[in-house]
Amino acid sequence: MLNKPTIHSTIALPKTEFDTLLATLRELGYQTIGPRVRDEAIVYAGIEKLSDLPQGYTSKQGPATFRLVKGNHQRYFDVIPGAQSWKQFLFPPRTHLFTVKKIERWDIQPDAEKPPRYAFIGVRGCELAAIEIQDRAFLRADFRDPIYRARREGLFILAVNCLHPAGTCFCASMGTGPKVQGGYDLCLTELDDIFLIEIGSELGRDALSRCQYEPASGFSQSAAAKGLERAIDEMGRQLSLDDLPSLLTENLELEHWDEVAKRCLSCANCTQVCPTCFCWDATDQTDLMARSTRRERVWDSCFNPQYSYVFGGNTRPTIKSRYRQWLTHKLGTWKEQYDTFGCTGCGRCITWCPVGIDLTEEIAALRKEAQA
Amino acid sequence: MTTPLPQTAVSPNQLLYPYWAEITQLKHETEGVGSIWLRFEDPAIRENYRFLPGQFNMLYLPGYGEAAISISSDPQDTQGVVGHTIRFVGDVTKAISRLKVGDVIGLRGPFGSAWPMDEIEGRDIVIASGGIGLAPLRPAIYHIMHHRERYGKVLLIYGARTPKDLLYPNEYEQWRANGIDVQITVDRADETWDGQVGVVPMLFYRFRLDHQKSVVLTCGPEIMIRFVIYEGLARRIPAERIYVSLERNMKCGQGSCGHCQIGPYFICKDGPVFRFDALEKFFNVEEF
Amino acid sequence: MAADPEVVSALKNIPWFAELKPEHFNRMAEAATMRHVRAGEELFKEGDKEDCFYVVVEGRVALDIFVPHRGKVRIYTAEPMDLIGWSVATPVVHHRTASATVVQPGRLVGFEAEKIRQMCEEDHDFGYIFMRRIANIIAGRLMVTRLQLLDMFAEPSAETRHAQ
Repeated sequence: MLNKPTIHSTIALPKTEFDTLLATLRELGYQTIGPRVRDEAIVYAGIEKLSDLPQGYTSKQGPATFRLVKGNHQRYFDVIPGAQSWKQFLFPPRTHLFTVKKIERWDIQPDAEKPPRYAFIGVRGCELAAIEIQDRAFLRADFRDPIYRARREGLFILAVNCLHPAGTCFCASMGTGPKVQGGYDLCLTELDDIFLIEIGSELGRDALSRCQYEPASGFSQSAAAKGLERAIDEMGRQLSLDDLPSLLTENLELEHWDEVAKRCLSCANCTQVCPTCFCWDATDQTDLMARSTRRERVWDSCFNPQYSYVFGGNTRPTIKSRYRQWLTHKLGTWKEQYDTFGCTGCGRCITWCPVGIDLTEEIAALRKEAQA
Repeated sequence: MTTPLPQTAVSPNQLLYPYWAEITQLKHETEGVGSIWLRFEDPAIRENYRFLPGQFNMLYLPGYGEAAISISSDPQDTQGVVGHTIRFVGDVTKAISRLKVGDVIGLRGPFGSAWPMDEIEGRDIVIASGGIGLAPLRPAIYHIMHHRERYGKVLLIYGARTPKDLLYPNEYEQWRANGIDVQITVDRADETWDGQVGVVPMLFYRFRLDHQKSVVLTCGPEIMIRFVIYEGLARRIPAERIYVSLERNMKCGQGSCGHCQIGPYFICKDGPVFRFDALEKFFNVEEF
Repeated sequence: MAADPEVVSALKNIPWFAELKPEHFNRMAEAATMRHVRAGEELFKEGDKEDCFYVVVEGRVALDIFVPHRGKVRIYTAEPMDLIGWSVATPVVHHRTASATVVQPGRLVGFEAEKIRQMCEEDHDFGYIFMRRIANIIAGRLMVTRLQLLDMFAEPSAETRHAQ
């Protein structure tokens, strides 16, 4: 047992100690959320023990394909996640804002539910980058979303380095992985026999306070580093950023946009699975007696045909115009808005598109036409 | 652009939280268009609420939702009553059209960028507007009248579909009396109309504009705006001196929900008033 | 025939004319007469066979077309420096296709179109300049007509593009 390890030092945690870490977090008041197998896919849900995690699994991913496969390993954090991302916790798909009752006058009752304190267990580089991108959208100098802020302020992050990327991953191209780039309380690299954990903050160090661990050996740290290097080569996809964002913002009228539009169904899957998409809508639900209205915030999507409704018509009535909006925002105008690209290379939009549209290929095709 | 004012009726702690306001006056303007004056119930907000010409509020009717509505009253009028002119076209606005004086609705704001009244001092101003587009420009007209000596020649070109659809006709004489050249036109009329017949951009042909001194402020149907801009540019008024006010589907007013984006801009927070050179690249791309 | 001095001084204030070469200006002025008009005066009616065009110096002239079951629809008004009756320069239909009524009293310069057309035939340099100016007038009129046609203030209708 070490005396307090320094921030940024790496320790070696036996896998048998992990349950103690989770228990400590729960005692500190956190809801521990991590990857689980459900419905032949991976979801993020409550976990209590290491054995709740998807041990031994790998995910085979490609355009319009996700298969959960039992691999020939015993690792817990090795499976690249499924459709769900962490955004559903910080930016819930449906939130009650307030309820308004008409008694003699309007009486408004804001939602009184206490925001939960989450500990995210297993946040990958692309996902952590996505959280930081949503931070820029929801927490600005001129506007701070109170719902996001409440959940983000109390958040504990246990990040995970990816040693085995999947078929649709391209975090290396986006500079968000496979090595996690900071912003965590603890960062874990899983070797066959041990968890290497880098201490990212005092909170992270406190979470380990009841665990037994050793300083990480040079050998295991170098094995981890080699694994990360190999992971870069094993990336499923690549995306060159050299001519972005202007490739998109200067080429709004290429023929290729019509070509993609023939395939895209405007189903909005990509925006739901994307960990950075942040569009939302507000709805009013009134009870049958018209005395009480419940106002909620819900996810929305720029692919929704009614998204761009204006009186007299619609400014984006065609699938072409909506697909173009999504892509030119994600890898184009987002840069001007938030000083970062909107994409972190997680590959979900490719895997979960029912017709398998791959944005790395679409950008390559646009590039080819623009250069011709 | 003119520095925005603090948002007195916007809650930093509750998303979309409405501040209740009572209807003090309703006025039928033209077919399907009316004006509504609202007074905040909270005396502190009543005392402190200010807006700039060109800004808008979100009006909320529980059970129906919110609508973004241009503020059309005098920004100097600090009695705590804010006037809006509304076209009754969707569920929310049609429900608002059925309300009475004394009814209470929710209000959030003010939102958006303003007409650059400070930046354009000393210049000749051409206000080119059509239909309900005059509503967000009326506060600018009031501002000019309050500070007439700060501006050069002021020309208002305003048009509507027919004479019955002209907004605020009772005020034109007062505006003329305050040194504004008010030129009115309609798309079509009958023989009882002895005013001009034609379209707003046509009126550019009838005036000699000093392109080095002139500024254009325009708001109306987007197609009218496009032709006004063509005429302005044709007369060598540079894109940096043409200001437009745009409209898109708005839900939050705060640059968060994403709906009102055009290119990199959120119309609710980077607009609705834009300098045209910032929009030029995106404005004429179909369905962008 | 000498030009009317009132016509000459009115035309000298209109750049359209003032920028012509003196011999062209003089010949045009000689083919013109000044007409003083009162409010309500009918300048010409749809179907009239007169062969002249007018330039408005002061006042306002409205163009109306009678549509059965709708009555007179006022489609355009001409202001000072505007030109009415441009179609005599390129005659296709040899009569008026709209009625012109004075709505604000003033003065108009009326030109004998036959003489002007002859000037164009005899002197192609003049013809080019004159026709170019007529083309500009038509271009402006066409822009106005197109925007009126688009009915930009109309309520959404069957033509509204709904989202896929």
